[in-house]
Amino acid sequence: MSKTYSLDAASIIGAVADAAERWSDADYPPRVRVTNAIAKRTGYAIPVVEYALDRLFVPVRTATLEHAIAQELGSIDALERFVEREGTQSRAYPVGNVVVVSSETTIGVAIVPAIFALCAKCTVLVKDREDALVAAFFETLAQEQPELGKRAQARTWKGGEPVEDRELRVADAVVAFGRDDSLAAIRRALRPSARFVGYGHRASIGYVDRAALANEASARAAAEGAARDLVLYDTEGCMSLQALFVEREAAIAPHDFARMLIDAATVASVEFPAGKLDPRVVTYCTGAAFRAALGRGSVLRTPSADTTLVLDPPQHEPPPLLPRILPVYSIDSPDECEEYVRSHGLPLEAFALAMPSETLADVGARLGAARIARLGEMQSPGPALHHGGRARIGDFIRWVDVA
Amino acid sequence: MSKIALTDHEFNHLARDIFAHQIRYSAPYAAFARSLGFDEHKLPQEWHGIPAVPTVAFKETVLATFGVDEARIVFETSGTTAAESGRHYFEESSLALYDASLLAGFDHFVLDREQELPLRYLLLVSERKSSSLGYMMRHVAQVRGDGKDQTFVDAQGENLNVDAFVIALSQAFEDHVAVCIAGTAFAFVALLEALGDTILPTRPGSRLMETGGFKGRRHNVERAELYAQLARCFDLAPERIVAEYGMTELTSQYYDAPWSRTQGERVKIGPPWLRPSIVDAGGNLVADGEIGVLRHVDLANRGSAVAIQTEDLALRIGEGAFVLLGRDPDARMRGCSLDVEDLLARRG
Repeated sequence: MSKTYSLDAASIIGAVADAAERWSDADYPPRVRVTNAIAKRTGYAIPVVEYALDRLFVPVRTATLEHAIAQELGSIDALERFVEREGTQSRAYPVGNVVVVSSETTIGVAIVPAIFALCAKCTVLVKDREDALVAAFFETLAQEQPELGKRAQARTWKGGEPVEDRELRVADAVVAFGRDDSLAAIRRALRPSARFVGYGHRASIGYVDRAALANEASARAAAEGAARDLVLYDTEGCMSLQALFVEREAAIAPHDFARMLIDAATVASVEFPAGKLDPRVVTYCTGAAFRAALGRGSVLRTPSADTTLVLDPPQHEPPPLLPRILPVYSIDSPDECEEYVRSHGLPLEAFALAMPSETLADVGARLGAARIARLGEMQSPGPALHHGGRARIGDFIRWVDVA
Repeated sequence: MSKIALTDHEFNHLARDIFAHQIRYSAPYAAFARSLGFDEHKLPQEWHGIPAVPTVAFKETVLATFGVDEARIVFETSGTTAAESGRHYFEESSLALYDASLLAGFDHFVLDREQELPLRYLLLVSERKSSSLGYMMRHVAQVRGDGKDQTFVDAQGENLNVDAFVIALSQAFEDHVAVCIAGTAFAFVALLEALGDTILPTRPGSRLMETGGFKGRRHNVERAELYAQLARCFDLAPERIVAEYGMTELTSQYYDAPWSRTQGERVKIGPPWLRPSIVDAGGNLVADGEIGVLRHVDLANRGSAVAIQTEDLALRIGEGAFVLLGRDPDARMRGCSLDVEDLLARRG
């Protein structure tokens, strides 16, 4: 494998976008094969996997990638030559060998960082899952641009196997997804000079303020958005809706909003049917039902009983973080939401609002959220956004300045 | 124990009767049952259908068919604060039932029927009076032991007196007395760490009972490795090491099936009056070879709730038999969301 690319950044971006476009077609044969394999691996329903693949590949377009890179580097030219940046001549060189360790429990999370690492002209090795999604995408990429086939490889191995140690030891940058203890173990295996980008497990919450509850139409819109964020990926994504705060003293009361939400979840479940759910949901639901029987809070379920809202569970308990279970907290002000998140040490990825609000966006930012979204769009971040608040290409380049 | 095997019909009959008794005298259980469409006149057809009380209920309300002022003993679940602890009340007759159930199960699953001499009990369990495990082992030691039993963990369950344990074990060896070492997995891990490579032989007939598991906390020592180390340290055959699975909210206990003690996966079974159900997310019974959460119907749980919903995962092996997976933090199937184990780990 040669040390430098003969391709320029624009060609790499073009090839990536072309490959992604082919993968955006649900009938593209490699995608069809992988879709079934992912459904088998994860237990998600086929429509959910299809949606995930659409969300993964459709936004990967030339303009989007160029824009994201230009945002961070000033222009994509910085990847080719020294360019003027704030009075200095600077050039973004590839950091070197990049290893991306995808998690066992997700769909295609490794692809976006792999794409940006390739755009930075790094060589990329992805630890793939048994569905071989990344390997199949890289094959398409190689068809688009054979040199990228040599630069981008995907293999499967188990954590702790010698191959992992070997690859991690020679990596210049490692991107890893997973639990905190897995990330810590990977980090320990790296050379001190290697860069480490860890995406640990996080949670996302939503907030419905009085303005959104001023009338039935806006409340229903918020409920429909929240329902989508609840059922998609069975509430198991870091951008899924895992707790919802609803203000009291509005035209639509929290309990009425919860009813709208469970109705909307019933409808959303037609588009995104439940996959195989973690059996522990039954324990939480039994506890909530017991409390409700004693007059503490209430429980609402979809007719198929696969999605559950628990209204006003005890705030001293952390959110259940279980599939298709949403605790809904009636509150008087954002202070209560802040107190809840802080007291439970909840690491936030997204903070979703029913309506745009600078004040509430500020609350989300203070709580550490990487993204403020609208309800219904929590799980559609787009490749240009800063997942986990991190740079997209910045971790894969090293600046050289001529001063 | 085989003499008191219960048919499905008998078990159903008893379970329904006990459930009817409990919802007559326990208002919270009655309210819960009513919310699910059951009352004294409308009982579930079979034991699987009896509303299982979540363990959280023992924290938030009193589940007893008698006045708490009649309680002879109250077992508390472990919790950081009193408010987080669940309470299981026993009055005179339910405590007698506890003792009888305990001894019958222990005799059958842990002790040799042909055992002639009493064992010496060396206990690595908390001395806390409200600990059901502590009570259980003290009672067994008192009734089945040689009268020289000792406990080596303090009431807080934090300090293990290793030196005293070594002296006691050596003394038992010198006295030619077989021992029963009983303790939690955490205590055994701590003990092994303290002992290093030391071998402390035991007399033939000795055995070891492990219980408590790791309660979902991450641990570095796999159970099989723990048992191998314990067998080596105390010169015990693997089948002499028995794991017990019980809960403060239950009256009876499960143990490793004797036939599974030399296999990789130990299978739990219980006495005839204790039956497990393993259910999926929708509360439906899972098939053999599938994982679900455990529910227990314990006919000896007469004074509180006959059916208990746990948080523990288990692999169903067959009717009444399962491999306990506990609150395995690695059991997650998919997703990049935080889970409660992650959150608790972050909070330390």
